[in-house]
Amino acid sequence: MELVCPAGSPAMLRAAIEAGADSVYCGLRDETNARNFPGLNFSTAELKADVLWAHDRGAKVLVAINTFARAGETDAWRASVNSAAAAGADAIIVADLGVLAYAHAEHPDLRLHLSVQAAAGSPEAIAFYAGAYGVKRVVLPRVLSAPEIAALVRETDVEVEAFVYGGLCVMAEGRCALSSYATGKSPNLSGVCSPPEAVSLEETDGLLTPRLGGFMIDQVAPGAAAGYPTLCKGRFEAEGAASHLFEDPTSLNAMALLAELRTAGVRAVKIEGRQRGKAYVARVAAAFRAALDALDRGETTAPYEARLTHLAEGGRETAGAYRKTWR
Amino acid sequence: MRTQHRPRAARRGDPAQVLMTLRPPAEWLLTSALRRVAQRRPEVFERLGAFADAAFVIAPDGWPVVFRLAPQGASSGVQVRRRDDRSPCAARIEGPLGALLGLFDGSLDADSAFFSRAIRVSGDIDAVMALHNTLEAAELSLADLLGLPATAGNAANAALRFVRQAAAAKAAWA
Repeated sequence: MELVCPAGSPAMLRAAIEAGADSVYCGLRDETNARNFPGLNFSTAELKADVLWAHDRGAKVLVAINTFARAGETDAWRASVNSAAAAGADAIIVADLGVLAYAHAEHPDLRLHLSVQAAAGSPEAIAFYAGAYGVKRVVLPRVLSAPEIAALVRETDVEVEAFVYGGLCVMAEGRCALSSYATGKSPNLSGVCSPPEAVSLEETDGLLTPRLGGFMIDQVAPGAAAGYPTLCKGRFEAEGAASHLFEDPTSLNAMALLAELRTAGVRAVKIEGRQRGKAYVARVAAAFRAALDALDRGETTAPYEARLTHLAEGGRETAGAYRKTWR
Repeated sequence: MRTQHRPRAARRGDPAQVLMTLRPPAEWLLTSALRRVAQRRPEVFERLGAFADAAFVIAPDGWPVVFRLAPQGASSGVQVRRRDDRSPCAARIEGPLGALLGLFDGSLDADSAFFSRAIRVSGDIDAVMALHNTLEAAELSLADLLGLPATAGNAANAALRFVRQAAAAKAAWA
């Protein structure tokens, strides 16, 4: 299985590949990708240079152009597709139908991957994207169980890529509007979930109070682990009790399911976290490289499964929807 | 009875005062380092975007002084201030020295440090993200900070790793 790792900067790209990534995914410095954070991402010149650097080392570069183009203002998305093609990217990761249509028509040799933001989780949906735009790979939404993925793979000829580590979204990707309600910006349109300019963190005597768009979304006790300041990870009071109503602050870690995913026919496994940094990607890529190599040798992944807990949101990990224990 | 306060400068053994007397060489060293980076790799500072004129306060836990960092390309500067200084700044980043050094050279994952409450940030969070991503891309080391040649730099970076590991070990046993 191909190990696909995040790269928020050239430094992170190099750290990922040196730690064992087969490919990296990255974005340009604008709203055309779903990690449009201040100071993050690549200039077109950096992208071109780093594609060469990666290719020299046998690694691939996938460019995420995975937000939804705004009607009447599609130039930025067209420009990003053109830049990725000119840089020699191995594929672009796209969600929007218009962007897919443009890339397919203008750059027929450019490989297209369907972003998780498209939330295509059925054989019929995947077949549509493959038939209409020549999509070669689909990144599955993080709402399917491992047996459901196995069943889906049997019904499609398109390569399947599945997230195995990193932040989780409670909603079907591409359809979550929680951030928009509080801040007016969303990952789908602006490339940012809970944009940092809308976040404030106040700490008094160790009690951390995160606010988003002025709304208090949690109070974290002194010394307790914190999560991302997003509405879905917030703690709210309902029927007299405060709890994480949408989702616990926790990270996905599906390393223990790698063997099952491989048997199911999953072609690539993906690490979330372009916004994290080189320290994060070096550790996660190395751990998953070791686990995948162990599988290739016929060994278990168990020795590597607890290596990453210290990186997890809220200090906790979950297999998420892959094991739908709530069913 | 009125209590007669001695002026700060006259107090003996005041750690803040001791460090403040070292202010000129420290400020010169750190400012020179930033400007060297700006000269060598001006593109690094472009990542600050809207925060190109911002100032950040870096406050190591337990230190009586803080560092006011203005990463403004060729005009960059670092000032040493007393911990209780509350001059306006874009953001303040606090934490153990080892963690702050880890953030500086990118060896510490900033999100994990936030989740575990090892570091504390206040002010403009977008400014903090811009600074973090700028430092990440800059790939700086302690040698860069001190302006050391490669051989001395390796020793300095090893010392930095030791400080970080010692700080991590201290945190683990705390």
